[in-house]
Amino acid sequence: MAVFWRLGLGPQTHEKMPNIRSRLALTLAVFGASALAACVLAPLVGSTPLSLRRVFDRSIPFQDNVDAQIFFVARLPRVLAAALVGSTLAAAGVVFQALLRNPLATPFTLGVSAGAALGAMVAITFGVDFAVGTLPTVPIASFAGALGAVAIVYAMARARHHGFSTNVLLLAGVTLNSFFSALILFVQYLADFTQTFRTVRWLMGDLDVGSYTPILAAVPFAALSFAAFATLPRSLNVLTLGPEAALARGIEVVSTQRLAFFSASLATGAAVSLGGPVGFIGIVVPHLVRLLVGSDHRLVLPASALFGAAFLIACDVGARTLMAPTEIPVGVITALIGGPFFLWLLIKRS
Amino acid sequence: MSVLLQATDISFGYDGLLVLQQVTVAIERGDFLGLLGPNGSGKTTLLKVLAGMLRPDRGQVRLHGRPLSGLTRGEIARQLAVVPQETRLAFEYTVLEIVLMGRHPHLRTFELEGPTDLAAAREALAATGTSALEDRPFNTLSGGEKQRVIIASALVQSADLLLLDEPTASLDLRYQLEIGSLLAVLNRDRNVTVVLSTHDLNFAASLCRRLVLLRGGRVLESGETRVVLTREAIRRLYDVNADVSFHERAGHLTVVPIGVTPDAERATPRGGGLLASGAGAPDAREDA
Amino acid sequence: MRTRRSEQLRTIRSLLCTLALATMAVAQAAAQPSTPNRIVSLVPSVTEMLFAIGAGPRVVGVSSYDRQPPQVAGMTRVGGLLNPDVERIFRLRPDFVAVYATQDDLRAQLARAQIREFAYSNTDLAGVTSTIRELGRRLGLDTQANRTADEMERRLASTRSRVVGRARVRVLLVFGREPRALRNIDAGGGRGFHADMLEAAGAANVLADVHRATVPLNTEAILKLAPDVIIDLHYGDQLASMDMKAERSVWNQLPAIPAVKTGRVYLLLGDEFVVPGPRIADAIEKIARALHPDAFK
Repeated sequence: MAVFWRLGLGPQTHEKMPNIRSRLALTLAVFGASALAACVLAPLVGSTPLSLRRVFDRSIPFQDNVDAQIFFVARLPRVLAAALVGSTLAAAGVVFQALLRNPLATPFTLGVSAGAALGAMVAITFGVDFAVGTLPTVPIASFAGALGAVAIVYAMARARHHGFSTNVLLLAGVTLNSFFSALILFVQYLADFTQTFRTVRWLMGDLDVGSYTPILAAVPFAALSFAAFATLPRSLNVLTLGPEAALARGIEVVSTQRLAFFSASLATGAAVSLGGPVGFIGIVVPHLVRLLVGSDHRLVLPASALFGAAFLIACDVGARTLMAPTEIPVGVITALIGGPFFLWLLIKRS
Repeated sequence: MSVLLQATDISFGYDGLLVLQQVTVAIERGDFLGLLGPNGSGKTTLLKVLAGMLRPDRGQVRLHGRPLSGLTRGEIARQLAVVPQETRLAFEYTVLEIVLMGRHPHLRTFELEGPTDLAAAREALAATGTSALEDRPFNTLSGGEKQRVIIASALVQSADLLLLDEPTASLDLRYQLEIGSLLAVLNRDRNVTVVLSTHDLNFAASLCRRLVLLRGGRVLESGETRVVLTREAIRRLYDVNADVSFHERAGHLTVVPIGVTPDAERATPRGGGLLASGAGAPDAREDA
Repeated sequence: MRTRRSEQLRTIRSLLCTLALATMAVAQAAAQPSTPNRIVSLVPSVTEMLFAIGAGPRVVGVSSYDRQPPQVAGMTRVGGLLNPDVERIFRLRPDFVAVYATQDDLRAQLARAQIREFAYSNTDLAGVTSTIRELGRRLGLDTQANRTADEMERRLASTRSRVVGRARVRVLLVFGREPRALRNIDAGGGRGFHADMLEAAGAANVLADVHRATVPLNTEAILKLAPDVIIDLHYGDQLASMDMKAERSVWNQLPAIPAVKTGRVYLLLGDEFVVPGPRIADAIEKIARALHPDAFK
């Protein structure tokens, strides 16, 4: 913490560096470097010792090159998937917290992930088997479920004619969460034992994509969301004052909230469809980042995205190496880190 | 004297309830105007309509002669700022960050604050006497300090016209006086036009040169304070007998309540005034 | 002096004895039927065993997850491990219920109702035949049970003898993964009856030193393990809608695996591979045929 403040970041540093421009540049540099380092180093680490020379040796045909396959098929897609899932969930967490004006909000609060889970569960339990290109069923079904949940929550939040109320949104989301969770339990009940086991595994998160197709499929949605996120930070700052006060300060509150809701939900849906509902990223990363750089969303949003990527990449390295050859679900790792972090936060606050 | 903000024949209602009826208010440059009335009289709603936060069902509001409905929210925000009754933050921001938020309508989408914005913010902090609090987290301030910071933030947003919604309702006496004198100084020395809504008679009497008296969504009286604030007006507004006199040391009118008006002498029947049909509905709920 | 009096006494005594014995015999016969004839089974492997040993006609209720043998098609379903339908079980008035040993609540209720239970625990390969014999004993079908068990053991021995002396093939057994993807892979470890199946079929389980029954694997681990043969099991309702070609070709993502390179990835379909019942000998032979095709010419 002190390191960051000495570097000029941190909430109370206006004496040393009031300039938002330099703070932004420094934040991006520091967090960007950590994300880049994670992306570069993670594929080099794993349960199998690799010979980098062999990996990039063009003379060996790819079919036969075990090292190359471990690097390019087993590890690299995982790292990229972790970067994508980590950054989108962390950024979505920041946006949802700002939208709902509640630091305890997560990307899963409004039911998007429950919808995705239901989609995946139905696909696994009822053996739904279709594919779009080489993209398998489960990610498609879970994305469809996520979109369905978003549509239902939005429809419920709009039911009252007073525009868009975040209170109603929260109620609608929480209600949908409960309802979908009940449906998920019901589907599990209908499933036989092995299917139940399979669905429980999905719920714990898995980044072993093994190919670039699911990642490429998720990229457009993530990119769209991030493009929307880029326009939001200053508005999110002002929104902290409350919707009415923000209105008076020139924010088009309803359209800003709508954009925040849809873009963050889209990002969450894409992330969960790719790697399952990996928990704690959407709340631990924003909190940690706020402790380091303050609450200005122009810093928090990009920093969270970059840190989220690095964080999940690191957790995934743990997932695939700690108990090799057994794979620990990555959601278990994030929970093991996130839980105590939360306890510490709670104690620190009181 | 030019008319800054003009509301003509405003009517506003929701869910079948009329909150404002045929309200006309003119605010001139340099004014210190008070919207005075009991709870439920529509003064907060009127303030919001004047600020462009609510769209009236009938009538029009003009800012510098241009109708509000034709202006974007950003354009409105650059010319008038609103100070709410209370500010509660979901996240921790420093005082300087809060004040800098006032620069939002003046910056383009991806523009970051520059040295001029920072200087303006610091200047506003100085004007409200809160320079020393620059790096403090907003949530650690006292009520009075918070309101002063919000006023600084409003000044940075629009140096011309401030609208304040019951600015001292949740403050202790000392802070009430602080805010009051701050507003008086801003009005006098910087020519900031101030419009505030309040139900506190003495607060209005001490600060506002002009008053608009509201009851049941209608304008009872409007004009200079010393002309308009009379025993009769107070009785009609609050159903209270009061003594109004000029206080030498204070330098303004003071109101001393004597007693409640007996029901037989009430200016308006209980529950009436809001619904045109007067169908015995309860007083309109607080439109805060 | 033995008079007619003592003779009479002796007769009365022996009459009384006979009467007592007869009463006891009748009482005992009335209290307990000699063999159960209303059987309910919550365990799919036990259901198969029951039908295999000839107890089929006596079965009145089966688990919701039973698919074999075909006779179970129209039968009353009573739930399974996690969701036994207690009411329905009792309505069938069973006198013998096969349950999982872990179903404590159900077992307590059966005990209170004085219904005989057969508690089944997951077991190894040898346990399958001993369970069959035990069932036979309990149901008075010793001969048939022994015959079935003996036949199974004969088949197993035959398979074993065919592959004995041949080099064990390095096998990875995958019994669960996401459809059309190499995600959330579950493989057979060094423990449990899957491990025994591989051993009997002449395989060297690449995960033999992992002391778990189920091992979640990732793609890197599989590349590192480099099995010579991959057995990809599929079973359950999904079989009908499976695209075999697509499922087979997901493995081409990892061409460096020897099994993929040599085309020795076998999709084995059907639940005889995962139900430790009478068909297991068949299943093991199928596996052995895939591993050592030349031993079965």
